Amino acid sequence: MTTIPLPTSGPVRDTLEARPDSDNYLTHTRGVLSWVFTLDHKRIGVMYMWAVLASFLLGGIFALLLRTELLTPGPTITDDANVYNKWFTLHGAIMVFLVIIPSIPAALGNVILPIMLGAKDVAFPKLNLFSFYLWMSGAVLCVLSLAMGGFDTGWTFYTPYSTTTDTGGVIPVLTAVFLLGFSSIFTGLNFVVTVHKLRPPGMTWFRMPLFLWALYATAIIQVLATPVLGITLLLLIVERTINIGIFNPSMGGDPVLYQHFFWFYSHPAVYIMILPAMGIISEIIAINSHRSIFGYRFIAFSSIAIAMFSFIVWGHHMFTSGQSALMNTLFSAISFSVAIPSAVKVFNWVATLYKGSVSLTTPMWYALAFIFLFTIGGLTGLHLATLSTDVHLHDTYFVVAHFHYVMMGSALIAMIGGLHHWWPKMFGRMYHEKLGTVACWIIFIGFNVTFFTQFMLGSQGMPRRYYDYQPEFQVYHVISTIGSYIMAFGFTLTAVSLFGSLFGGPKAPANPWGGRSLEWQCASPPPFDNFAKTPRAGDCYDFSAVHWDEKTGGYWVDESADAAKDGSHA
Amino acid sequence: MLTMLQTLPNAASQAIAAAAAAQSGATAPSARTFWMPPGASTIAPGVDLTLEVINWICYFFFAIIVALMVYFVAKYRHRRGERFRTEFPHHNTPLEIGWSVLPTLIVIGIFVVGFRSYLDIYTAPKNAFDIKVTAQKWGWTFQYPNGAQSDDLYVPAGKPVRLVLRSSDVLHSLYIPDFRVKRDVVPGRYSYMWFQCDHPTGLPAAEVRDPNAKTVAGPLDASQRHALFCTEYCGTGHSKMNRYVYVLDETTFGEWMTKQAQWIDEIPEEELYFKAGPKLFQRCVQCHSLDGVNGIGPSWKGIVERVKGYPMVGEGKKYATYQDYIRTSILAPGDYVVPPYANAMPTFKGQLNDKAIDALIGYMEHLDDFDPKTGKYLKAPAAK
Repeated sequence: MTTIPLPTSGPVRDTLEARPDSDNYLTHTRGVLSWVFTLDHKRIGVMYMWAVLASFLLGGIFALLLRTELLTPGPTITDDANVYNKWFTLHGAIMVFLVIIPSIPAALGNVILPIMLGAKDVAFPKLNLFSFYLWMSGAVLCVLSLAMGGFDTGWTFYTPYSTTTDTGGVIPVLTAVFLLGFSSIFTGLNFVVTVHKLRPPGMTWFRMPLFLWALYATAIIQVLATPVLGITLLLLIVERTINIGIFNPSMGGDPVLYQHFFWFYSHPAVYIMILPAMGIISEIIAINSHRSIFGYRFIAFSSIAIAMFSFIVWGHHMFTSGQSALMNTLFSAISFSVAIPSAVKVFNWVATLYKGSVSLTTPMWYALAFIFLFTIGGLTGLHLATLSTDVHLHDTYFVVAHFHYVMMGSALIAMIGGLHHWWPKMFGRMYHEKLGTVACWIIFIGFNVTFFTQFMLGSQGMPRRYYDYQPEFQVYHVISTIGSYIMAFGFTLTAVSLFGSLFGGPKAPANPWGGRSLEWQCASPPPFDNFAKTPRAGDCYDFSAVHWDEKTGGYWVDESADAAKDGSHA
Repeated sequence: MLTMLQTLPNAASQAIAAAAAAQSGATAPSARTFWMPPGASTIAPGVDLTLEVINWICYFFFAIIVALMVYFVAKYRHRRGERFRTEFPHHNTPLEIGWSVLPTLIVIGIFVVGFRSYLDIYTAPKNAFDIKVTAQKWGWTFQYPNGAQSDDLYVPAGKPVRLVLRSSDVLHSLYIPDFRVKRDVVPGRYSYMWFQCDHPTGLPAAEVRDPNAKTVAGPLDASQRHALFCTEYCGTGHSKMNRYVYVLDETTFGEWMTKQAQWIDEIPEEELYFKAGPKLFQRCVQCHSLDGVNGIGPSWKGIVERVKGYPMVGEGKKYATYQDYIRTSILAPGDYVVPPYANAMPTFKGQLNDKAIDALIGYMEHLDDFDPKTGKYLKAPAAK
């Protein structure tokens, strides 16, 4: 087993040139079984990545189908409302549970977190593989549920409709989500322990890269909130099979109780989606501005604060459900409090551009798109947190637009930006930069065309989950559908740029962007065990010692200048 | 400052009310704007003002953030080979405090404005006129104090109206965009919502709903009617549960309510099936057709002969006559469900009285007299 030794002293040029064809984690052992039984976090992360991207394709197909159906009022490509209802349900369930929640922590996080910590792996590698197989079983069951009749309950599974509808795929998908939940819990557990226990010498909490703070805060939510979802799904299954009556009013149960259980998890879940995305944005913006992030401590603290506050605002999904006015008032007020840390993060990112040296790479374009789209998504949350406007806007397309701006326009965009950012590290190949940038713009334009119109649709009164609609809404729907086709085209170009690079794309240097965090101090792709010797952590946002190397087409870090300047690392 | 914020919405809503009073005599709701549909209820101005306040705050912050972002990227653009800038601030405590405190104050302001207009939405006045609403898959029934029932919602103008909501099956939600009101309808529980509309629309001009239409009818014109939607997903017919709200001045409303309560009682027995049948059939058309195509429920074409042939229908059996079986199917539909249909029919007990059931049975008996596509009576042009 060959390892690439780290230079330990003296003025150092980064000799860790790209050698994707020599020994690295992808080539270290061969054969399908070496992947099936791997304990290497990088391989597990890569497997997650392909699985999540395949799920994104499937969920995206359902989205295109339903948007096409909405081109005209009444039947367009199907004359059966049940089929449409299944499409929007599947789109939501696949995107939420199979794509957005796992994508950044399980795919990118698994690959990058241990390397950023200078560690050889996560704290519990076998648990990590188990998490992956839980995810796969959940995904397989979800696909199986399609074959068993599908389900048309909406991804939220509100009772009593979900306990009485006779589509055959309901119990399979509930079981699938239960398994996916445990995948999430174990990944979270793994990350919490890894961040606590496996930090290298010199990396105190406040020397951690912000992506790690983000993943840590996310992991806390995953561990604490997801069990509630698990039990709730179990209750639904039991209700459907043996009719215990907990959500059945004629047996003394309460259908609204389900909503409380469901949203108690699902609100923190949306922060599982966005916090790691914000972590990626912090990394991309700092590195591509070649300057330290503005307000590091605030961003670190705000991640934890957002995680904590996320548990006490779930009732803002239920303002019209029959909650008392007092409950509504409390939830509305607390919901505003969550908005503030998020807003200040945006200010910090913009301030990081100030007096930086901004390189407009493809990941940076994604980060700038994130700021634009997250600002809109976050600000429209104000309309929904406000009691009187929410009465009008709840369950309309306004809500659909809001959550697509934050879940897709922010979390997914950040994930794809992160994918570009770490792609050279993960695979040792550079994607096609110009094509990547063009694709980013096309996605950005398509996204706004698709979803900005939906704000207007919603505020004008168009309800959600509607197969048929009043004819005066048609023009908005047509524009929105055209936007979705533009986005699909953009995503296709992105796939071509990324996946195409794997077939003979240019070799990537170890440090294409000039980062200081530890993942840039090993080869691209990393060796099997990441680092032969645990490296010492410096200031990961100090770019003064970073220099461009024309020969390798990447950056190198002048460790000596760095060591001289920054005496004690403890 | 807080008192200033508290008086702000009051002053504004008073100004709006004053302007409205100054134009009293005008019978049109507020016009449709870029964001909002016409506002036709007394709380609509407060909600619209709240939305405008939030919107302008959002436009302002969005503009600043994006402008600064674009400006900084352009100004501090790095070109390959240039040295990195080193003179930049790591943090700036006064600035960070400022941009934490100012948004906090702003959101407190937004919360207060929203809270005040919300209290108006939530609290029904004491003298409200009650209308009972039953939601079921997939239609609404509105029941009035004098026993009148209607598929569409007719309300008196200028008086607060309170809807007493209940569902017979799953969650629904009653939403009237023009009134800015919405409330989930929960099975097993009563919930309330209220509104007041001061602008009469008058009675509907003609029969506006084609039961066999592939799509819901439009267009919406707030001076003639207001849309009422179900906005909590409830299955196949969720998007077809649309109804209309008609606002009538006091006299017209009184007349309508009386007529609506008695309309079926005034029809002679022998004319029931063609005068009342088609109108009642509107309630059934979601699941039953007339032309032989089976849907969620069996088509009524040939239904009488089919029912006569059922094993439990006949002398000495559970249902002595076919009318018995049909009547039970309407009042207690789960009693005997013919396979392969699911037990999905809601009960119409309390909604269809004996005369109504007689009308429907007569309708089924005389189906050949009706157009299988539209349900219209073919025999006499003057008939309904």
